[in-house]
Amino acid sequence: MNLPPEPSHLAQLQARFAAALRGPGHGGATTDPELIAGIVDDGLDPTARLNLYRNNTRAMFVGALERGYPVIVRRVGEGYFHRLAAEYRDAHPSRSGDLHWIGENFPAWLAVRLADTEYAWLADLARLEWACEEVLVAADVPAIAIEALGGVAPEALPGMRLQLQPALRCVSSAYPVWSVWRANQADQPGDAIAADRGAEHVIVTRADDRPLLHLRPEAEVRFVAALSAGAGLQQALENSCLPVDDLPQALAWLFQNGLVVALETPVPGEEE
Amino acid sequence: MNRDVRAAGRSPVGPVPASAGIGLRSAHHESLVRERPAVGWIEAHTENYFHDGGPQLLALERARALYPLSLHGVGLGLGSAAPIDREHLRRVKRAIDRFEPALVSEHACWGQSGGEHFNDLLPLPQNEEALRHLASRVREVQDVLGRQILVENLSSYLAFTSSQLTEWEFLSALVEESGCGLLLDVNNIFVNSVNLGLDPLKYIAGIPRAAVQEIHLAGHLRKQVGDRVLLIDDHGSAVCPDVWRLFETALRRFGPVPTLIEWDTDVPALDVLVAEAALADQYLERARELAA
Repeated sequence: MNLPPEPSHLAQLQARFAAALRGPGHGGATTDPELIAGIVDDGLDPTARLNLYRNNTRAMFVGALERGYPVIVRRVGEGYFHRLAAEYRDAHPSRSGDLHWIGENFPAWLAVRLADTEYAWLADLARLEWACEEVLVAADVPAIAIEALGGVAPEALPGMRLQLQPALRCVSSAYPVWSVWRANQADQPGDAIAADRGAEHVIVTRADDRPLLHLRPEAEVRFVAALSAGAGLQQALENSCLPVDDLPQALAWLFQNGLVVALETPVPGEEE
Repeated sequence: MNRDVRAAGRSPVGPVPASAGIGLRSAHHESLVRERPAVGWIEAHTENYFHDGGPQLLALERARALYPLSLHGVGLGLGSAAPIDREHLRRVKRAIDRFEPALVSEHACWGQSGGEHFNDLLPLPQNEEALRHLASRVREVQDVLGRQILVENLSSYLAFTSSQLTEWEFLSALVEESGCGLLLDVNNIFVNSVNLGLDPLKYIAGIPRAAVQEIHLAGHLRKQVGDRVLLIDDHGSAVCPDVWRLFETALRRFGPVPTLIEWDTDVPALDVLVAEAALADQYLERARELAA
């Protein structure tokens, strides 16, 4: 017999439905008797009907995560990735109606999950893959030419900030993440790269419709990361330990690649 | 009826014609612009164009310069009991301002509870409470967007005992109470007729003629569940003969309406989609002749 809905009936129904989609555990069956009683039983078990939604929402989540981390999937295999994805979903369920953001917390989660295992380096690989995702959706801003530096008074140079392209990320790793990333692109054979091959430092930018990965010296990547975080020129040099002799080359590289969008000088009265 | 929201909207660059269009998938961004196939219009998933910049946005800019555009949202979850996601709605509005689609649609579904999004189109009971809630949400969204939206009927794998209305009564009342239009998914009607045992002809006959401004057609998957076959709305194959027949019935009632071929999984080559659209155009042509 149908009861007239209570005022908050809809919220209650959705909360029960949501709980059934989430758990209990992986592969477990929904046992909430009130929810089951609220589903029309025409001979086909309501639990089987609910499970279609459960499986679908899980597949949706895992599929979105896979699309964001194709290199990790290829490196660890689909089976293991799916197990990681299920655990990750428990810790970081989707918080947006836009599937794109599902993978946002994956690198940080992976760093904790795989700490002290032989796969700890995968967290850095995940950071690199997420950096690729981020540059692909960042704003398009026109670059400025290196000549703009000529307009900056010498005394303003140490405090000058370089505003960099939104589509720029720096990834420094103690592991060969750039080599692994390259070897595991769809058109590559997927050669195994030993994780102990050494550190790699990468600046990720965007070229038309794909991410562009630049393998750069460690100090230079730290320098660009410091600039990117808003440090002035002097501060970025100190933070990164970039030798001052290498500064012209590092700046030239940024300008040549169209990565500087504005100069900000802190001196009062100066034009930004 | 809240008809003034339509007048408040920005005028679209090109209205969507009463012909067949195709869903724009990123796999076809390049070939669509290069080959410029003879399809009447395109539809894109709004959430795929939420970003600040980058190649996806550029691809849609190029495509919408060639074809009238519809933006179809899959993540707003109009019927969620939780407060509407204002940030999501803001991004929908930004995409509309950027691309000026002729049609904007969402689903008669819910999608989040307790802060968790399920990124799926989850079913609502068809009762007074859900109707009041959904209608107020549609009005809220139309107010923010400054235009009428179309609401799409869902495919469902279950029905609630708390439903008091049929699906078509529910949708008709939603139109009446919110001033929205309808995007009638004929494949979803067929899927529900099998999954929930409802009568597809009564469904179509029960939908108000003037409300339907767009039709969706898609393929589905047959899945054995226990000793029954359920239809899974996976948009992963060609439109089946039963759905074409139902489409013909729908056109007899609603006249020629913009009709979209949806194909979202196992996306085929562009010419396969274009051929499906050409088939839909044949039905639309016959409907035009009948209407004349």
